[in-house]
Amino acid sequence: MPTPVGVAKQCLTPDASRALEEAVSVARRRGHPQTTSLHAVSALLSLPSSTLRDACARARSCAYSPRLQFKALELCLSVSLDRVPSTQLADDPPVSNSLMAAIRRSQASQRRQPENFHIYHQISQQPTSVSCVKVELQHLILSILDDPVVSRVFGEAGFRSSEIKLAILRPLPQLLRYSRSRVPPIFLCNLTEHPDPGRRSFSFPFPGSFGTCDGGAENYKRIGDLLCRSRGRNPLLLGVCADDALRSFTEDVNKQRDGILPVELSGLRVTCIGTDISKFVLENSDNETFSSRLKEIAQMIEQGVGPGLVANFGDLKSLVDENASNEAVNYVVAELAKLLELNYGKFWLMGAAASYESYLKFMGRFPSIEKDWDLQLLPITSTRPQDESPRHSLMDSFVPFGGLFSSPSNLKGPLHGSYYCVPRCLQCGGSCVQEVLPASNERLSADPYQSNLPPWLGTADLGITKGLNGKTKEDSVRLDTSESGPIKKLDKPSQHLHDTQQFPEAIPCQTVMSSRCSDGEKEDVDNHSRKISDASPSVYIDLNSSAPIAEQMISTTHSSSPVPVVSKSDQDNPIAKAVEILQKTKDLDSGDLGSCNMSNSSMCDGGQLSPSSVTSVTTDLGIGISFSPTSNKSKNPTMGGLKEIASPLSSSYNLVNRDVFKHPAQSSSCLSSDHSGRHDLINPKILLEALAKKVTWQVEALQSIVKAIAYSETSRGKCLGANQRGAIWMNFVGTDRIGKKKIAVSLAEILYGSQESFIFVDLNREEINGHDAKFRGKTILDVLVGELCKNPLSVVFLDNVDMADMMVQNSLSQAIKTGKIIDSCGREVGANNAIIVTSFSVQEDQWNCRPKTEFSGYSEERISRTKGAPIKIKVEHVIGDTRSPSLTVLKCSTDGVPNPIPVNKRKLSCDNALNDQHKTSEMAKRAHKISNCFLDLNAPAEENELQFTDDGKPEGVSTATLNPWLQELYNQVDETIILKPYNFDALADRVLNIIRRSFHSILGSECSLQIESEVMEQLLAAAYVSERDMEVEDWVEQVLTGGFTEIQQRYSLSARSIVKLATCQEQAPGVSLLPPRIIVD
Amino acid sequence: MGIVEEAHNLRMIGKGSKTVVLAHGFGTDQSVWKHLVPHLVEDYRVVLYDNLGAGTTNPEYYDFERYSSVQGFAYDLIAIFEELQLQDCIFVGHSLSSMVGLLTSISHPHLFSKLILVSASPRFLNDDDYYGGFHQEDLSQLFEGMQSNYKAWCAGFAPMVVGGDLDSVAVQEFGRTLFNMRPDIALSLAQTIFQFDMRHILGLVTVPCHIIQSSRDLAVPLVVSEYLQQHIGAKSIVEITPTEGHLPQLSSPDILVPVLLRHIRDDIADAK
Repeated sequence: MPTPVGVAKQCLTPDASRALEEAVSVARRRGHPQTTSLHAVSALLSLPSSTLRDACARARSCAYSPRLQFKALELCLSVSLDRVPSTQLADDPPVSNSLMAAIRRSQASQRRQPENFHIYHQISQQPTSVSCVKVELQHLILSILDDPVVSRVFGEAGFRSSEIKLAILRPLPQLLRYSRSRVPPIFLCNLTEHPDPGRRSFSFPFPGSFGTCDGGAENYKRIGDLLCRSRGRNPLLLGVCADDALRSFTEDVNKQRDGILPVELSGLRVTCIGTDISKFVLENSDNETFSSRLKEIAQMIEQGVGPGLVANFGDLKSLVDENASNEAVNYVVAELAKLLELNYGKFWLMGAAASYESYLKFMGRFPSIEKDWDLQLLPITSTRPQDESPRHSLMDSFVPFGGLFSSPSNLKGPLHGSYYCVPRCLQCGGSCVQEVLPASNERLSADPYQSNLPPWLGTADLGITKGLNGKTKEDSVRLDTSESGPIKKLDKPSQHLHDTQQFPEAIPCQTVMSSRCSDGEKEDVDNHSRKISDASPSVYIDLNSSAPIAEQMISTTHSSSPVPVVSKSDQDNPIAKAVEILQKTKDLDSGDLGSCNMSNSSMCDGGQLSPSSVTSVTTDLGIGISFSPTSNKSKNPTMGGLKEIASPLSSSYNLVNRDVFKHPAQSSSCLSSDHSGRHDLINPKILLEALAKKVTWQVEALQSIVKAIAYSETSRGKCLGANQRGAIWMNFVGTDRIGKKKIAVSLAEILYGSQESFIFVDLNREEINGHDAKFRGKTILDVLVGELCKNPLSVVFLDNVDMADMMVQNSLSQAIKTGKIIDSCGREVGANNAIIVTSFSVQEDQWNCRPKTEFSGYSEERISRTKGAPIKIKVEHVIGDTRSPSLTVLKCSTDGVPNPIPVNKRKLSCDNALNDQHKTSEMAKRAHKISNCFLDLNAPAEENELQFTDDGKPEGVSTATLNPWLQELYNQVDETIILKPYNFDALADRVLNIIRRSFHSILGSECSLQIESEVMEQLLAAAYVSERDMEVEDWVEQVLTGGFTEIQQRYSLSARSIVKLATCQEQAPGVSLLPPRIIVD
Repeated sequence: MGIVEEAHNLRMIGKGSKTVVLAHGFGTDQSVWKHLVPHLVEDYRVVLYDNLGAGTTNPEYYDFERYSSVQGFAYDLIAIFEELQLQDCIFVGHSLSSMVGLLTSISHPHLFSKLILVSASPRFLNDDDYYGGFHQEDLSQLFEGMQSNYKAWCAGFAPMVVGGDLDSVAVQEFGRTLFNMRPDIALSLAQTIFQFDMRHILGLVTVPCHIIQSSRDLAVPLVVSEYLQQHIGAKSIVEITPTEGHLPQLSSPDILVPVLLRHIRDDIADAK
């Protein structure tokens, strides 16, 4: 058990306890959970008149220059400190066991000191004695040096702890101290860096926290780690000195210095668009310049070698500025998000926010920005105002010494050092910047300052001046930007995409969890979902708001316990749990600022969560499932409850946690599961409804589609683990081409937000070549890969898969196995997030040969090939009593219209069926699975239900004739969806009814109307293809009625008149299916 | 006439068993080969085409997105090969087109028997360990100039690139074709060209490459040819011609045409 700081302090003398305080503040600054001996060492070294540092200086080996060895020590120490996991803390990090042990050891040794022996011996008679021994600083240092961790650090830096200890025990005379132990040149360099000596971040051999000077390296490391991550990979540096950190990072990366970035990112480039953005946003210049800049970036990404490109968008302030044009900001945000999405893995965004307020403001305007930009807050902790406390006042006193003890002999070192220090030291504090700025301006304008400096400082000073120059510019911009603009909440549901979803590599952890849960505790969850759901709103908010942190933790905890424990007690006591979660969220968020350097430590964080919170998290995961499609039973009843609970909870969060309240729209949109584009959460019922609205006639097929999607959503998590594809492959079977396409388009629209996400690929090569000049030179695969690159979240519709050539076949087989599609140039794109729909053309022979009755004379094939032609009205008079019905559809011989399909198997078999209906029905009895394909449209709908859609693939059904590749593909798809043939008869009835009504209302019921089948087909085709339901109705009302009226005016119609609707075949093509006017003969 | 033929002003002239494809670079069109073509038609089938964006092409066909990378031009080239059913061609590419040829040859090596690269550069921009001849500032200046006054820019750019007097025929000619381009297309194209970096693909090339380079070329420093030869995966040969300017086939045809003919005729001998 770590000891609270207060308790530990009781054992220390004021001196020692100040050192401890310092150590605690080091730990706090770094967000470490405990104060360890390392922190103590760090603090001890940075203390003014540090005994330890003096001792080190004396004990150091003569082989190295003192500077070098101190530098080494500094590095070793900061490396070891970096290894300590960081976390979020509410309070001061308690004293670790090891440090506490060191304190106890020193207590013990102090008691053994001969001069003290007597006193302590007496005291120790009393029971509470030990704590009364006040440890002196010297003893504390000695026993801390005994700590193996500490002595290792010293050892790495080339010191020997024993020697240091010896040096401590035998201090040198006070007089010699400075001349020997200080390293004067360093002060000189400090002087040059810090024109205002009163400022902090004094570059000492051991700068306070290792965060000021060394903060650079540390920050780089954290940034680099972030960039390597698969999500939350775009750092937003937060803090007063974030801007400087950002700039120095940019500079150093572009200088390609080693060691700044992790190896896998070496070669990364950074481009600055900050000024572009602020110019664009503030001056409201036209989109042109900015978009061309973006284009440039896109090009750079595309052509770039190395791991990719980071766009540094500079200070967030310009985006939240009052004077910024909203449109421009929206544009910037959207464009950058687009770039990010398109170039995932090769493109990063990076920015800085000086204050949390501006970040909040930005979040307020773009609630989904964290997701859209995949942002991760990265507090630059090295300098925080509250940490400045005691050190500065003390440190200041050294400045004069620095001046005094400067010795020209070490010129080279300090100059060099100062040069490198410039970017780093500029990091210190925006507050500092404000003060530095006037100073620097002064300096810039009043050159004489330089003459004040020793001549050899000239170079270094130039360096600073340059750095400050940049600063000045930036700052003037910043000063322009005044505070808060109107906070406009933009609800962009379609952009709430779960960022992980976009990328195959990153497993959407929510999905993983829910699916895992569904394995283990599915029933349990179902049973209790009502109860659990009480807590679920908080889960959602939790996950969404404190996004990556929480999620990462959760995923970690989860992976450590593959079978989630949905403990009974938790379920029984949802309120308690909710509170618990609330608390946790609070924890997470209150620590938000300080503890986001979670780059490499989040794993440990997860581990350090208290057991209770782990359970609660796990339970949350169980709840995830109530949104996931498997348990749609339990969902509907809970839905209302969820919403209700969500609102009070989120408002209560408001008190605790601003963070959460920023996304009320978002979280509620999740809860109400409208089409927020996150199809891992989408309600299958709602999905089905939405689909059914678009494609009314394929309800059964839609059901199985939704089921397939739901199923693969839940199994996706499992699959991904085991090197399997994550894409959903569906095979649409049936003659209803338009239906297939419409379903696919609707899926894209509903699941991914827009029709843009629909990729149509007709593998019938000739057709694709014909219709778009854009595709020339590209193979179908190139087109497909190109589109998928642009938008990985897509519904891909592969029509005529059977016509695919060798290359496409191979690639598709590969894709279905590995989830990656490779194009002709070897480019590879992950298709894991896509829904891929295939459609065969030959297959239709087997599936959909339906017996044509007298009435179902309209074949989908013919109708879909119907070209628009003008429609004319003729009037004929019949001699004699015809007694013809008032409305007839004239059946032209089908021969009249040559069927353009080259392979006409289907036609043949259909004809057979027509000829021998008896045989067909016999066949149907024999193989009843097949019989399902022979749909009798006259039978009631229930009987038409395709039974085998339940068990997935109608295996073995007439696939024998397929070529092996098709067969394989056919067997590998997740789901085969059978679409009913479109019921053209019903449609025809409807259309005829409308026409009849219109005809009778204008021309009366006396004369009869004859409609040529071509006209009918044309109308049916129009209705079939049309987006809207009422298109034909409207046409009849607006156009045909006009024609009838004209007829009535021109001719006197009797009972013997026959009004004929016919097409003018000879007409040029290009007429729409519903001609805008009717020719009256 | 297919779209490809129309868009690229495809022309196939001459007779012979082997086909030579001539591809022009930025700011020119197929006329840049006018000095070479007469010498080829007797023995070769010569395919001439315009890259989209050239002044002679229909700007409607120019797809800013497609041509934001060399890949777009490579697709065009593939389409041309498909259209004409060509295989195993000798490809002569100038400047931009040389890179297009290189890129295409990686995915479709069967289309080429060899590549002749005139004034080729895999990257114009300097890099840490690479000297391409241009600084980023140069380029920004260049783009700025193009945007502000295209005509004036052309007038300045042409003599610089060609490396001749303002009123020399070659400069006039290049200036004409350059100015024929629509300014926005020219800008986008220039951006594509100056930003691309094909260095990483050089190693993947398997088709023999003949690199022909002016001894003084403002756009392509000599070291670039050396770089190309060192990094191209296939066997390659460099010939530095005593010519000046980026368009030697236009400015010094008397020197370059014989060189080109020799390279077209002869293959690189296998190393012993």
